[in-house]
This record gives sequence, structure tokens and C-alpha cells, in this order.
Amino acid sequence: MIRFDNVSKRYASGQEALHELSFELAQGEMAFVTGHSGAGKSTLLRLIALLDRPTRGRVHVDGQDLAQTRRRAVPHLRRRLGMVFQDHRLLMDRSIYDNVALPLIIAGVAREEVGKRVRASLDKVGLLGREGDPPVALSTGEQQRVGIARAIVTKPPVLIADEPTGNLDPQLSAEIMALFGEFQQVGTTVLIASHDLALIKRMNQRVLVLDHGRLIDDFRPRGVS
Amino acid sequence: MNRRKPKNRMKAPPPAKPATRVERRPRAGLGAWREQHLYSFFSSLGRLAARPWATLLTLLVMALALALPLLLYLGLNNARQLHGDIRDAGAISVFLKPHLDAAAVSALAQRVRAHPDVATVVVRTPEQGLEEFRNQSGFSDALNVLRDNPLPAVLLVTPRAGLGRAADLAAEFGREAQVDLVQYDAAWRQRLEAILAAATRAAQVLAALLALAVLLVIGNTVRLDILGRGEEIEIMQLLGASAGFVRRPFLYAGLWYGAFSAALALFVVALVEWALAAPLQQLVASYDHRFSIQGLAVLPALAAFATGALLGWLGAWIATWRHLARAPR
Repeated sequence: MIRFDNVSKRYASGQEALHELSFELAQGEMAFVTGHSGAGKSTLLRLIALLDRPTRGRVHVDGQDLAQTRRRAVPHLRRRLGMVFQDHRLLMDRSIYDNVALPLIIAGVAREEVGKRVRASLDKVGLLGREGDPPVALSTGEQQRVGIARAIVTKPPVLIADEPTGNLDPQLSAEIMALFGEFQQVGTTVLIASHDLALIKRMNQRVLVLDHGRLIDDFRPRGVS
Repeated sequence: MNRRKPKNRMKAPPPAKPATRVERRPRAGLGAWREQHLYSFFSSLGRLAARPWATLLTLLVMALALALPLLLYLGLNNARQLHGDIRDAGAISVFLKPHLDAAAVSALAQRVRAHPDVATVVVRTPEQGLEEFRNQSGFSDALNVLRDNPLPAVLLVTPRAGLGRAADLAAEFGREAQVDLVQYDAAWRQRLEAILAAATRAAQVLAALLALAVLLVIGNTVRLDILGRGEEIEIMQLLGASAGFVRRPFLYAGLWYGAFSAALALFVVALVEWALAAPLQQLVASYDHRFSIQGLAVLPALAAFATGALLGWLGAWIATWRHLARAPR
């Protein structure tokens, strides 16, 4: 579902963020990307969302070669991608409903369908009944869950998250991670950048370890659950 | 499914996926298009309503800028009508020597009527002249004081239609012994024509300048709106919004600005018409109701409204083109 072939990324400043990176994530697989800060975790996710393009090498997402994706087609690619951010990036002047509905409206989904899917999505993250509230009325953990609801409302085949638990306490972090685990169980490919090693260990999933832009470990758990 | 839609540049999807793939394709085509336009339509309206005072102020500025050329257009239209009225009365007035008796006047009138270049001759006796003067000018009280009628008899001579040398004819009458004065106002009419032409051109130039001002005001308002919503635009792009989707609410906002300010401008024009109605009616009465004041007709009003809306849309388009073209990534 996600495939990197010898991908390098050098920024205009000369800093090499990724070096000869190759890995493949199957459909329905869940993986963590970890490493110290500046190891290239965010860059890796940015390449998947076409927020950046690699200097060398190829990235495939959902069978599509991103190098051949033209600028005008980038929005279509992003609609097949659920993205969760550390700072959740909600529109603070809109209600929770409007925030979660936004990807559907962008995709041009019919209005009667929008309501159903927004409620289903909010139900999944345990926030049904809060649709009319503004995001500021929620706690940080709840805001992050709204961000997740927004990411999954279009039922994307791929979900990527950049430090989704960065601002949360361990209890909330565990809940959020469990939520991602559920999406993987219904067939979504999930890739999460995180430096919370303890949490990652508990999740017992595949872990890609980056160090200075190089993939130094690709750890797969054995059948322990 | 994408292969059928040339507009969608996505590559054809890969061979069949396992059934676990839960994504449901969004409706493409007309339904989605309508849905998105409705969204932009109402959300842009909502944004204007969210800041009523700022919006109203912008609208008022633009309404005044649009009303000014409209009022000029109205004024010129009425002036042109007056001008036409004068041109129709393109007669030569032949004032006869005072105290000429009626027989001599009618003999002269006979002679003038026989002239090959003359179409009609109307004799206005001193009594008729006095009566007319009394009715028209509002000097009736002053005229009552006079013992004698100071007015001479006048021959109103209409030259034959299409006569180029009406001035020569006037000069010819001037040489008659019984004629005191010949009034032929060709020069004056030409001057009026030139004044009207110049005023029309000035109005057109002013209208163009004010249209430009409206364009800039709307462009700048939309530009500030875009800059103020930078984060929202970025989030929308992250969620897969196309350039068109991001641009559309701003274009609608421009359209609203233009349409509303044009409507307000029409209201201002109506207000001015109402305020001037009474004094103008008096002016018309003094001209014996030979013409009437024309208000703004429906068609020009509709054209003004459409122009306003178009200007708004265009201003917004320029602003979005300048500030969204450099959209990230």
C-alpha cells in the first residue's frame, strides 16, 4: 500500500533528511516510525502526502507512483489519505460537526450522506453528541479525537499520523493508539510517527527506526499479542 | 472508474483490492459540483454576515462609487432631451420694428411665406406675445404695471427641411426695412451640442475610473480575507481541496460585494431622484411641460446591477489569482 524505493530527500538548505530509504507496507498493516527528533520521521510522512517530493527514489501510495502525480492531481491523492497531526489542526471558528464534515464537502459528498458519515465517525471516536460544540470546548485529548474523526470520515485506505499523542498524557495516548489499532483491524493501512517508545512497545506492531535519515531497523513483532 | 472521467487526472486504480477496502468513492460530476457550489454560496454569505459593520462600510463605499456614474448618466440623459427640444424648435425668430400695424405685419408675413426656402411662417402679435410671457415667466404682476405693450410682432419662420444655409436666410430677413432683429441661434446650439458631448465623455471616463476603484476595493477586501484565512486554506489543502474549491468562496464573496453594492447604489439613485423630484417638477412646469424628467429605467438599472456583480466577481478573481496561485505545494 505504501512503498519507498531508495528514497532520498535533501532540503534546499543542504540537510539530508532521508537517505536511501526502502520499505513496503502492505494493505491493512500498521507500523510505527520512530527515531530521535530530526531523524526524518516527519519528512517521511510529508513525502507520502505529497507535501514534499523526494530528491531521489520513488514513493508509491495505493499503487500510484507519486513522482508521476501532477500538481493538479495532488488534491485527489490527499483525499484518499487520512492525516492526523500533532496539533490536530482543527478550524477553531467552526463547530466540531463542520470540522469533521469538511473532507466530505471537499470531496463533494451529498449533504444527507454527510450527516450520516460525520455522526458515524464521531461515534467511533466516542464524541457523538458533541457535534455542535466548538473545538475549544473540548479537552486536548478530545480535540485530537476530533482530528482523527476528520481523518477517517472519508474512509481512506491509508491513515498517517504525525506524533498524534505528542501532547497527551499516557492514559489518553494509550486510548488514541487503541483507536488507531481499531482502524487497522478493519483493513486500513496505518503509519504513525512517534517517539513514545514505551507506547510503541505495548502496541506490539511493526516499527521502522530512523537515525539521521537512514532506516537502521525494521522490527516486526513475533506472534505475541 | 476514473478512466471514464478525463477531468480526473488520477491514474487508473490498481487491480482489484481485497474486499476489506472500505473507501467509498465520492460522487463525481454534477452532483458534487452542485454540492460544492451550494457550500461556497452559503459559506461566503455567512462570512459577510459575520462581520456586518465592516461589510456594510465596504458596501457603502462601493455603492457611492457606483451611484455617481449612474446619476451622471441620468443627468445627461435629461439634458439631451432638453437639447432635442431646442433643436426641434429650430426656427428663425424675426422681430419686427415696434408699432408696426397689423396690415403691414401680415403683408410682410405673406412675402416671407412666398420665399422658396421657407416652410412655415407663424405670426405672433404683440398681444399674443404678452399673454405667453405672462403665463410662462411668472412676471404677470410686473407686466400688469406696464401701460403699453412693449413687445413687437414676431414672425416665427421655419426654414425648409434640410436647408443647409439657414443662416443666410436669417441674414436675408435682417436686410428687410421693417425688421428690427433676427435671432437665429445656430452657434448657440452647436455650442450646447459640444458641451453635451464633452460632458458625456467626461462621465464615461469618470465611470471607468470609479469602476476601477470598485474593482480595487473588492480586490483588496478579498485579499485581506484570504490573508486572514491562511491557516484555514492550508488545512483545506491538506484535506485534499482543489484550487477551485479554495478559490470559490472568495469568488462568491466578490460577487456578493458587487451585487449588494450595486443594489445599494440603485437605492441611492432612487433616493436622489426622490429628493430632486419636487424642484425638477417646477423646472419642467416653467418649460410648459415640453419635456419630462426621466428616472432610471428598468433596463439600465438591471445593467448597472449586472455590472456591479461582474466587477465584484472580477475583483475577487484578480485577488485570488494573485494570492492563491502561489498556494503551497
